[in-house]
Amino acid sequence: MVELITLILFFFALYVIVSLSLNLEFGYGGIPNFGKALSVLTGALVVGGILNRLLIWYFGIEGDFISASSLAAYRMTEIVSQNPLIGLGIFLFCVTMAVVAGAIAGALSILPSAKLKGDYLGVTLLAISEVVYLILFYNTEIVGGYYGVSVPDILAFVPGEYRVYAYTVLALICALLVYLFLEKLLNSPYGRILRGHRENEDLIKAFGRDVMKLRIKTMALGSAIAAIAGVVFVFYSSSVVVNAFNRVEWTFYPFLIVLLGGKGNNKGVVLGAFIFVLLKMLIDFYKFDIKYLLHLPFEAVWLQYIVFGILALLILCYKPEGILKEEPIYTPPIKSRLKTNP
Amino acid sequence: MIDVLIGAMVWSNLLVLLALGLTMTYITTGVPNFAQASFAIVGSYIALTLLRLIGLNPYLSIPVTFILGGILGLSTYYIALKPLIKRKASIEMLMIATLAWDLILFGIIGAYSEVLSAITKKTETLFVFTSLDFNIYGIPGRLIVSSLLVLLTILGLYLLLYKTKFGIALRASMENPSLAEAMGINVENTRLFSWFLSGALACMAGSVLPYLQEIVPQTGYFIVVSIFAASIVGGLYHIVGALVGGYIIGISESLFTYILSILLGPGVLVYSKVISLLMMIATVLLHPRGITGTEMWRRVERWLNL
Repeated sequence: MVELITLILFFFALYVIVSLSLNLEFGYGGIPNFGKALSVLTGALVVGGILNRLLIWYFGIEGDFISASSLAAYRMTEIVSQNPLIGLGIFLFCVTMAVVAGAIAGALSILPSAKLKGDYLGVTLLAISEVVYLILFYNTEIVGGYYGVSVPDILAFVPGEYRVYAYTVLALICALLVYLFLEKLLNSPYGRILRGHRENEDLIKAFGRDVMKLRIKTMALGSAIAAIAGVVFVFYSSSVVVNAFNRVEWTFYPFLIVLLGGKGNNKGVVLGAFIFVLLKMLIDFYKFDIKYLLHLPFEAVWLQYIVFGILALLILCYKPEGILKEEPIYTPPIKSRLKTNP
Repeated sequence: MIDVLIGAMVWSNLLVLLALGLTMTYITTGVPNFAQASFAIVGSYIALTLLRLIGLNPYLSIPVTFILGGILGLSTYYIALKPLIKRKASIEMLMIATLAWDLILFGIIGAYSEVLSAITKKTETLFVFTSLDFNIYGIPGRLIVSSLLVLLTILGLYLLLYKTKFGIALRASMENPSLAEAMGINVENTRLFSWFLSGALACMAGSVLPYLQEIVPQTGYFIVVSIFAASIVGGLYHIVGALVGGYIIGISESLFTYILSILLGPGVLVYSKVISLLMMIATVLLHPRGITGTEMWRRVERWLNL
């Protein structure tokens, strides 16, 4: 039972980070980023592709990339188990790199279609994300592809049985920081211009703002945040397997969470993430029981896809504003007006 | 080399069929349908089922897949999109709805492949029809059949759109829905027609696809980029765009991978998607309305007197 709760909390934290970043882009900015999975994958790429290569070079290991990185990961884990500071240092280093790489990936991916309207934007973002995913999946020399590569355990100094809890706490801290940062950020002129952009692009243009720059900035920011989730996820599972970063898990599910919780409302998105992860983990955890109980002639994972697909359609149809509605922005003038005549 | 050309032609023919549906539903409903690739895989599995259970050759089952595919297309419109359009949902919401529908179809395909495996006592999650193909004077059946399907589709569409009263109404409501509605044309019929045809053509293409490549439930995710590239390069606002884009993307994908495989050895199949993506991005950057949206195309059209 404790296992299940830890698992739920860990994935809750990850999905909070990714969904909040999507909420910034889609909920506030109105950019349909159907390439969200790309930014999470960028975080994984930083750890599996860059950190591992640095370690291999540092230890001077010969041989092909996949086996060399297992050896490098093993040696680094040994060092970290003696010296906690190095582990945390590596984590911070990777997060910093992931933020930079994520920002570049996000900005580049929207560049071709930054001037176009919603449908072209969404299609191009999805296509770029899919193609990068396919290349990383089939080319095993970049980050191990479908074989996967090991990465060092940065919390190796924590005794074995407590390590999962430590990772969960780390993920929750990251999620909390992201939440506080975004709340602060979106309650600023930038957040208001984003909402304005969603409602009416031409109005923003008329006020002298560059819509293209605004979109590029927002995508860079959103992707940088989502890349952090990729880093945390990879260190938690102590390996990079590209299949884990597919479109369903990291593009569709975040959209489902944002719609479920309420787009344009960060509190709602956190609530949505909790409900969603609870459902998903319960199905994952009890998949054999579900299969047996319902006499399913197939794996429960297919049922999970169907259920979440139907859930998304139902929300779109009956509750498109989500559980918690978007709130008006309480700027000082509005607050004072509310005080005088409530 | 000749094998590569045949493969390129078959793939282009199938892409044309898939992109035609995508373009048509985009014109009538205004939403890019992300589930288009999954329609094809549903078609592949319908053909597989008929083959395994009653021994029907997949080429002969094309009429059945056509009709079932049409029903699939219609149900997509009725279940996933119409309720939202009625509530005046935004284009982004409609796109998410097609993504959700795609996921539902993916789940159904995956579950069904395991159910079918249990019935036939064989593994059906991965299959090909290549060994069933026939041969006429060295020309493989998949080339003949797919070319025939494209020819028949174009001929049928041409006769329907340009020679019948219904076709004129259809074209009118595609070009300017509100004006057509003011003239007393039922625009809803156009949508139903385009969704039926979109599903039918995609499933038809899907039943030929296993002659060309292995099919797994995830195949849809592999081909979706090519379909969108074909529609966008050709132009999303013109039915002929799918035809032009389908051949351009299909042939360049195949030839590019062929040249790359000579240079770098096998295992470069995945890079074919890079060429479609680059062509799509180039189109989006230079001329988002695609080839059929250019001024030059309009001149060609006038010259052809269409």
